[in-house]
Amino acid sequence: MKKINNIYIYDGSFPNLLTIIKYLFQENILPLDIKENYQEDLFSQNINLNLETDEKIIPNIVKNMGLKIFNGLYYLYLSNKDNKEMLIYYFLLYSLKYQEKVFILRNVDILNEAIKTIKYVGRENHKMKGFIRFKELKGGVLYAEFSPTNNVLPLVVKHFQKRLKKEVWLIQDVKRKVCAYYNTNLYFLDMQDTKINLNELAKDEVMMENLWKTFYKSVSLKERVNERCRMNFMPKKYWSYIMEVSDEESY
Amino acid sequence: MDLKEKLQILTESAKYDASCSSSGSKRSSTIGNTAISGICHSFSKDGRCISLLKILLTNACIFDCKYCLNRRSNNIKRAAFTPEEICQITLNFYRRNYIEGLFLSSGIIKNPDYTMNLLIETISLLRHKYHFGGYIHAKAIPGTSEVLIKKLGSLVDRMSANIELATDDALKLLAPNKNRGRVQKVMHYVKNNQSSKFVPAGQSTQMVIGAFRETDFDIMNRSSNLYHNYNLKRVFYSAYISVNTDKLLPSLSLPPLKRENRLYQADFLLRYYNFKVEDILSKDKPNFNLLIDPKEEYALRHFKEYPKEINTCSYNDLLKIPGIGVVSAKRIYRARKCFQITFNDLKKMGVVLKRAQYFITCGGKSLICKEYLNPHFIEHNLVIDSKEEKRKVEQLSLSL
Repeated sequence: MKKINNIYIYDGSFPNLLTIIKYLFQENILPLDIKENYQEDLFSQNINLNLETDEKIIPNIVKNMGLKIFNGLYYLYLSNKDNKEMLIYYFLLYSLKYQEKVFILRNVDILNEAIKTIKYVGRENHKMKGFIRFKELKGGVLYAEFSPTNNVLPLVVKHFQKRLKKEVWLIQDVKRKVCAYYNTNLYFLDMQDTKINLNELAKDEVMMENLWKTFYKSVSLKERVNERCRMNFMPKKYWSYIMEVSDEESY
Repeated sequence: MDLKEKLQILTESAKYDASCSSSGSKRSSTIGNTAISGICHSFSKDGRCISLLKILLTNACIFDCKYCLNRRSNNIKRAAFTPEEICQITLNFYRRNYIEGLFLSSGIIKNPDYTMNLLIETISLLRHKYHFGGYIHAKAIPGTSEVLIKKLGSLVDRMSANIELATDDALKLLAPNKNRGRVQKVMHYVKNNQSSKFVPAGQSTQMVIGAFRETDFDIMNRSSNLYHNYNLKRVFYSAYISVNTDKLLPSLSLPPLKRENRLYQADFLLRYYNFKVEDILSKDKPNFNLLIDPKEEYALRHFKEYPKEINTCSYNDLLKIPGIGVVSAKRIYRARKCFQITFNDLKKMGVVLKRAQYFITCGGKSLICKEYLNPHFIEHNLVIDSKEEKRKVEQLSLSL
């Protein structure tokens, strides 16, 4: 690998990033960085290869490297790490040599960082499956807002597609302004250019929320109160979207 | 009585059951499915997870168990749900993603068979009329006919019957209407018939800790037998909370939470770490040390077998190192096939060395000076390092 002091630009999509990394591997190039946007840097050059995305790159990786490694790469892409592109570059590079053993090689710092990031995204995905709260709107549509640290929306929707397959639902990632809409088929909507007009709440919605809050308060044992333990499992950063605790924030 | 008040009463009456797991079952239907890993949806103020809607069908009860809030002789508000009400609440909570499913128990009304039939009616309505595919954990009522157990078991994911107290003496004194034979009959039936169609997520049970003078040795022996004889998935321990005053009951101002914690730790040692009860307790030493955990106690008593070399000792030996759990042990076991592990690598792997450092070497090196490697010094350090001790010291220094 020859080290080249260039920053390569990709179009922000996962397949395009993989296409560029594949090109860099073929040319034996270790880049300074790979980024979505042009970077101002005195000592390096931005290069936009304008490569056409290889349509077969994802099926090829799944076929040749296995689903576990592909998922690792995808989870990295969804993470909120600033250096996620280079983590993907190294993770794929080591996977070529070590296959699934990359998940064990924690003595290599860059891999250790990648593995930890993958676990973190997986963990947050799992938490969100539990913490998302739907509200029923008039007409029976279920609507939820959340704001995860990593971009786990594409992962959690898979869970709800199976669980709420007969319902119509919307999940909005407030921070990234992306919305998943499910009505037997799944669509991703960019909220920056489309605006969705939501109906008002269904008539029992408030009653159900109150029932749930009643349950939440009644089920806890006052003799065993342990705020620290609760906070470990349910960090404050998620509270504003978890309706049974969101009004507790004030005190 | 409105629905909200009913829900409040029947939740307050059900909250002393510890189990809330929703894992281990594969089920899918038009409305809902189960997740094999289980999902926690919320955490209550006491830090316990909430994944199931935990309620009683009714808190009226013909039994008079001394420690129980719902005993016949208590003057509390009684309420009962109709099966339809339970279905509506469950379905509405489920589609809003508040819960993973239902945990349904009940006080005994009229007789065990009658109560069991009510449970079956409710859950059958939920499964067959509403096609609910989420997780259901139901309490089996001991003393009912096998036909009813079979019916209930084919509708739910998990079934459990509570053993309540570890010894027969305690049961006779504090829960005179219950007997162990009946509970074990339920467990026996479930064990022999368990399949993907009948109680697929297995059975569990629960014991009250500290309501009687039984020792930790009694309790662990009972648990060990239960795991061994009935293939239980879990035994839950519930620190006794004084809800009633009775001359037969101890009056505790606080529930024995630390003791409960030690019992859970020991329980995990039995199930995942290949320990036996005799390894950690004996007739002469029937109770756990509340200051250090059971595995630390074991290691200090068998100090000659330590330190263990991380790079060469067996997997079983890795599990015997205090501070190293199943996850860490597996990571180490896999990683050392690829490279020689150093202390720095252990840190990178996320292995916590606070307790382990006294009991391991990496490539022959130890983090601790040789002259300090004696049980007394280590025990002292382990106690001082424990979180509770640190908090106590902090509080003391604040008051100065």
